[in-house]
Order: sequence, then C-alpha cells, then structure tokens
Amino acid sequence: MSAMDPTEIFRQEASELFEVLEGALLDLGQRPDDRELVDSAFRALHTIKGSGAMFGFDKVASFTHEFETAFDRVRKGEIKPTQELISVALAAKDYIRALIEDPQSTDDIIGEAILDDLKRFVSFDQPAAPAVQIAEAPPLVPGDSKQAGWHLYLEFESHVLRNGSNPLDLLEDLCKLGPCFVVPVTDGIPFLDEMEPEDCYLKWDVKLHAACDKDAIDDVFMFVQDEMKLTLAPLEQVEAPAPGPLFRLLDEEPAPTAETVVAVAEAAPAPVAEQPAAKAEPKTETAKAEAATEPKAEIKREAAPAKRDDVKQERGIATVRVQAERLDELMDRVGELVIAQARLTQLASSGSDLSIKMIAEEIERLASSLRDTTMGARMVPIGSLFGRFRRLVHDLSRDLSKPVEFVTTGEDTELDKTMIECLADPLVHLIRNAIDHGIEDNATRAANGKTEQGRIELAAVHSGAQVLVTVKDNGGGLNTARIRAKAEEQGLIAAGAVLTDHEIHQFLFHPGFSTAQTISALSGRGVGMDVVKRTIENMRGSIDLSTRPGQGTTVTLRLPLTLAIIEGLLIRVGEGRYIIPLPAVEECVELTAEDERSRGRNFLNVRGNLVPFLRLRDILSVDGSPDQHQKTIIISTGETQVGLVADQIIGNHQTVIKSLSKLHSDVTIFSGATILGDGTAALILDVAQLVALAQSKVEKHISEAA
Amino acid sequence: MNQQQADAMQVVMIGLGDEKFALDAGLVREIIDPVPVTKVAGARDFVPSVINVRGNVIPLADLRIRFGMPQTDSSADSRIVVIEIEIENEPVLVGVTADKVYEVTEISQADVQQTPRVGMHWKPEYIRFITKWREEFVIVPNMERILN
Repeated sequence: MSAMDPTEIFRQEASELFEVLEGALLDLGQRPDDRELVDSAFRALHTIKGSGAMFGFDKVASFTHEFETAFDRVRKGEIKPTQELISVALAAKDYIRALIEDPQSTDDIIGEAILDDLKRFVSFDQPAAPAVQIAEAPPLVPGDSKQAGWHLYLEFESHVLRNGSNPLDLLEDLCKLGPCFVVPVTDGIPFLDEMEPEDCYLKWDVKLHAACDKDAIDDVFMFVQDEMKLTLAPLEQVEAPAPGPLFRLLDEEPAPTAETVVAVAEAAPAPVAEQPAAKAEPKTETAKAEAATEPKAEIKREAAPAKRDDVKQERGIATVRVQAERLDELMDRVGELVIAQARLTQLASSGSDLSIKMIAEEIERLASSLRDTTMGARMVPIGSLFGRFRRLVHDLSRDLSKPVEFVTTGEDTELDKTMIECLADPLVHLIRNAIDHGIEDNATRAANGKTEQGRIELAAVHSGAQVLVTVKDNGGGLNTARIRAKAEEQGLIAAGAVLTDHEIHQFLFHPGFSTAQTISALSGRGVGMDVVKRTIENMRGSIDLSTRPGQGTTVTLRLPLTLAIIEGLLIRVGEGRYIIPLPAVEECVELTAEDERSRGRNFLNVRGNLVPFLRLRDILSVDGSPDQHQKTIIISTGETQVGLVADQIIGNHQTVIKSLSKLHSDVTIFSGATILGDGTAALILDVAQLVALAQSKVEKHISEAA
Repeated sequence: MNQQQADAMQVVMIGLGDEKFALDAGLVREIIDPVPVTKVAGARDFVPSVINVRGNVIPLADLRIRFGMPQTDSSADSRIVVIEIEIENEPVLVGVTADKVYEVTEISQADVQQTPRVGMHWKPEYIRFITKWREEFVIVPNMERILN
C-alpha cells in the first residue's frame, strides 16, 4: 500500500501532533515557566501549519498561523500562559482538529471568536496587523546586544524540494525575525540541459539585521536541518542598516526595510519556479562542497551539537513510521512460520536423523526469537493513551467544579497496539465514574477532613505475562449498602441473602445497573460498567474492584500482553483437540473415582474447596465413551475456579490466535482457533464463557435443590 | 460485445448428490483436496466445522444441509471449493464441500428458467436462478443468502 492518500497521512500525523500539543498545553497549565513545554507546543503548531499548507488545508494553515503568532508571544516570554489562555488555546486546538477532520462541520465564526479570544490575551501592546507578517518581528532593545544581526549562508541539499520543504517559506520565516537582505547565490546552477527540474540549485546569502539568538534562527530551519548546511556568522555592527529595528520600536508600522525584504523574497522564487519548466536530465549533481569556506565550517560545527541535542529530545530513538496493517501482516507471517516450525519439529523428532533434528532446533530458536521481536514491534507505550485522559479530567473537573489532581504512572509500560485501542473506551468510563461518583463534592470532602483537591491515579505496571492498569480515586468509596438495596430492588438477589461485599460489588457490572441517584450527562445511566467488563473480557482480561469506605475505590484491569500469540495448554476431548489459555490454568488434577461416581453433584473437592466442574465431553457434544482416566484442568477467572474435565492433557502449545469467522460468531464458548503442528485447526476455549456457563449450572443446581 | 457474450457467466460446476450447482467463478478462490476438519460444537448445522487453508482458519459449509440433501461419504472425487463472499460488508473466506468438481465453464443467462414455485423442496431464496447447461438443469445458488 504505497499509494496511500497523502491527506490521510497528514491526518494521522496531525492527530499525533495534536496529542503532543494538548499534552504540552495541559502541562503548561501546571508549570507555566517550563520553556521546554512552550517550545514543544510551538513546534507542534509549526508543523501542523507547515504540513497543513503543504496538503492544501489552507484554512488550517491560516488559522494555525494566527494561533502560532499569538503563541509566539508566550514563547518569547512576553506573556505568561495563564489558565485562561490555556483554555482558549485548547479550544483553538480543537478547532484546528475539526478543520482537519471534518471541515464541513466547522464554522468560520467559531474560529474567529477563538482568535479574538486569543488576541485579547496576547495583544496588550500589539496592534492587530496580521496582514503584514513581517511586522511581527520581536521587539529589539538596542542597548541590550552588541551584535546587530547574523550573516547566514544557506545551502540546501538538492532534493529538499522533493521532500516538500520550500526554501522560500523558510526565508519568509527568517524575515519575521527581522529585516533581511537576501541574495540568491546562483553559481551552482547548471546549464539548462543538465538541470533536474526538481532539484534545488540555489543557495542564499542572508544578512539578518536582528539581534535574535541563534536558537531563533535554528528554530526556523528545525525541520530541514538534516537536509541543509547552515552557516552562521555574527554580523558586524557597521554593516547593519540599523534604522529598521529601531524604527519599528517607535512605531509598529512595518518598517521600510520590510518592503525591501518582501521584494527580495518574492524575486527569489523566479529561478526556482522556472526550474520545473526545464525538462532536463543532468547526469551529475552540482558540487557544492567548495562553497563552504573554512571559517564558516567551524562555526557550523559549533551550531551542530545544539541541534543534535534538540533532535534527541524530540525523537528519543530513531523511529520508523509503519502502517499498522503491515505489522499485522508480519505477525500473520510469523504465526505461519511458528506453525510450520512446529510441524518440522514434530517430523524431526519422529525421525532419527540427527542433523535434521539440529536444524529443527535451530529453526525453533530462530522462530521463537523472531516471534518475540515481532510482538515487540507491535508494542506501544501506554502513555500515548494516558495522554488523552488528561484533557478529559481537565474538562470534567471544570464542569463538575471538583478540583482533581490527575496522576499517571507507568506510561512507558508497553502493550500490544490493538489492546491500547480497545482500552480507550473502558478507561474513559472508569475515569468518568471516578470523578463523577468517586470524588465527593467540595463540601463533603471538607466535612470528612480531606483535601479539597481530589486525586485520580492512573497507573500501568507489568506483572508476569499480564499488564495491570489501575484507576484509583481517593473519593468516598463504593456504597455497598446502596448497591445491595438496588440489587434487591431490581430483583437480582433475594432480600436478606448472605453475600460478601465482593459479590455485591459485582452487581455494578450488571447491564442496566446504576446507583446514581441522579442521572447526569456524564454517568448514572447504568450503561458503562457492563460494557467495560465485556470489552476487557473480550481482550481476555479481567476486572477487579476494591474499595474502602471513605478512602476511595481502585479498579484494576488485568490484561494479557498481546492478542496475537498466547501460551496454551493443549488438551484432547474425544477426537478433538482444544487449547486452554495457559494464564487461566491453575492446576491439573486427576478426576478420582469418587468424583466420577457422584455424577449428580459435579463438584470437586480441591484441598477442601468445593470447585464445580464441567465435562467438556458434554459441552462439546462428543460421542463415544470417555477415556478411563479423566483429567481435570482447574481454570480461574478472578476469584472463581472451575474444573474442566478432559480425556487427555497433551501439553504446552505456542498458540497463534486466529479469529473465527463471522459465520461462527454465534458460538461463544470458543474465543478463536489456532493451527496445530500437524496442520489441523484447533479451537481455543473461552475461559470466561465456560466459567459463566459453570456458574449458571451451579445456580440451577442450587435452585433445584432448594 | 454481442448479446450472448454479455449474458455468459463463468462458473465452476460442482456436483452435490444428484444435483449440479454452478458457482460464480468470480467468487471461487481455489479448489483443494479434502483436509482434516475440526468440528465446532454449537455452530449452526450448515457450517459445522473449520479447516486450515494456508494458515487461515476458515469455516467449512455444507450446502447439502441447506438444500435438505442426504449426507454422502467423501469419495476420491470430493473437493473443497474455497469461495469469498461478503458478510456484513466484509469479505469472508468459506470452504464449500463438493462431491465432485466438474469444470470451469460458461453458462448463458439467456436460458434462465423461471424458478418453479411448486415441486421443489428448496427454499427459493437460496437460488439465484436455474439454467440449462448441456441439456441439464443446473442451479446457480445464492451463496450470500445461503451462508447468512
């Protein structure tokens, strides 16, 4: 799929940038003085603007430009990022997102209103003159700096145009720093018949008459710094035609020099624009090394480390953007390889050829490490998901006027990317619940001697082959009595039935169950927790609730690391072979003759505990008589244990999960299928469903007995 | 393009019991020899099992059940025809058992016979049309309907 819609790529990229921007803005609300945050927000904005213009989202580009302009004043430290400003900035971010995702739904009036708000915050001394962008040069304090500007020499790699960068835009950006005198260097331009229409041959010699720092200049070229040579030298005082900046200080009208700059900048495109017209095929690229003279190169080296640091902070480690589909495909191939390898191992072990056995072992080792690497490639840090909730908490705590501190830990815990996507909705529910129901209102908190600010912790941690995601609040805790009353009212339990608190809390996952006395816009409708539970169970995970009255509630989601390959226990029932996910297996015991005799009871005595068991032969409707020594596999989900009676336990099996087709969507006791070493398909038993089945049988048994 | 060509339809002719069915060749992905099947307990009876086809686990459908025909033991001529159909707007691979696969041929839609309302123990919605091929009646089944 190389021919992907470029607009779609932009949308994807933009949505990631929005996350960065939103995160930075929200952080900024807490740490207004953090320059890093301001810079990262600014960078995100700048990229959105640039790519937006590149992909024809002109509205996005122009709106973002205004946004950027306003935000620039924050960046320069001229104004403080107040909470109000952050709110407006978030609204502006949402508006840009709407412009990109669904342009029809947006209204220019909203955009203008947001811009007006933004300007109100930032324009205490700036006349609204966005039409003349050149006028937005930073105010310059003449006495402050001995240096009058910079002499820049720009040399782009010849392919820079093909990557979508436009040197002219960069020059324009440069002009915003102060009056520029730009002279194109044309000596690298080859003869017409040697000219490659898409190459950039021009170099530029720029005299920037502004006392900005080197960083400001580096910022302009941030996105192309790998594709260009930038040589910077301080400009001699004598060279500066100082009136420009000084003039501007006195009067915000565009300085006369600015016009010259525009003229120069506009004159510059001509040669570049003409190049595509010349359909020429040069055989060699122009040599450009000679242009950089010795002293200039030295200065360049000085500038380089700073840039490299910047890049490191941005990217961390070099990454490659890969389509999720390709990763899925890769995983499929690896799955097939694992299956083929299992067959090979089986064949090799049945033969006596030692060298084949050695190769089989080698391949087994390689296949399993390849599997681990591939699974690792699909892992995404959960932090990308956590970031989204900060906005949710921010908005909810404002709407409900419950001040909430939102703490996240374990953002770098990695999970399969499909799991991360599936987790988003359940976590939204849980966090909403925590704020709406969990955290008490201010008066109650004060009365109970708690801090005014509530606290919600979202944490992720690895635990064996599972990842635990917890949502913890320090609110009032679950009201067990009320849940019980509600359950009785809805006829879910008989009045006066003896239940543990844990059992009572399980009613929260019952469809249509809500104890909220009032239905708010947020929660209380009783849909939610059951959906959360179902979603988590579909991921082969489980959900635990624990609560302490007055102290708060903790919801723990236990999730498997991946959806693609699991360790399974291969069993045989009649002729058929089935897989039980190994994490669910507690132990295997033999079905004793005594258990066998008491056919009516279907309970096992496991070290004093009464464990109900299911005969898989019955459930899977297997004909014929069972094997003599039946085995019981004790499985568990959460607190419940169930025994499954099978004919034979074959052993461990690396299980590549294949989903069952839609034609079998009505079959619930299987969660999927896999392919065994001999090439036949085997079904994977859905532990949660089997447990539910066993429980319903137990209940039936009890009600029959009663 | 003359009328006859426009009406022609490429089909894979398969035999089930005593009947001949013509499957639209556009649906057919491959024809394979019988493979070991895995029974799916609790599945609807016309898709009783799954098979492994090149690393994919796909359902195996038995048209005989949908058409109320008696089960026949597999023979040396038995094949599995893998077709791709749309279920809920998603392409799904399904294996279809056939007692015999005859050939890929062309049938003419011009010879379409009115599907008789009486004298048939098949549900009319499972049949796209009945046509004549070499002086024999063949059924063009509506696979989407049959498998939904």
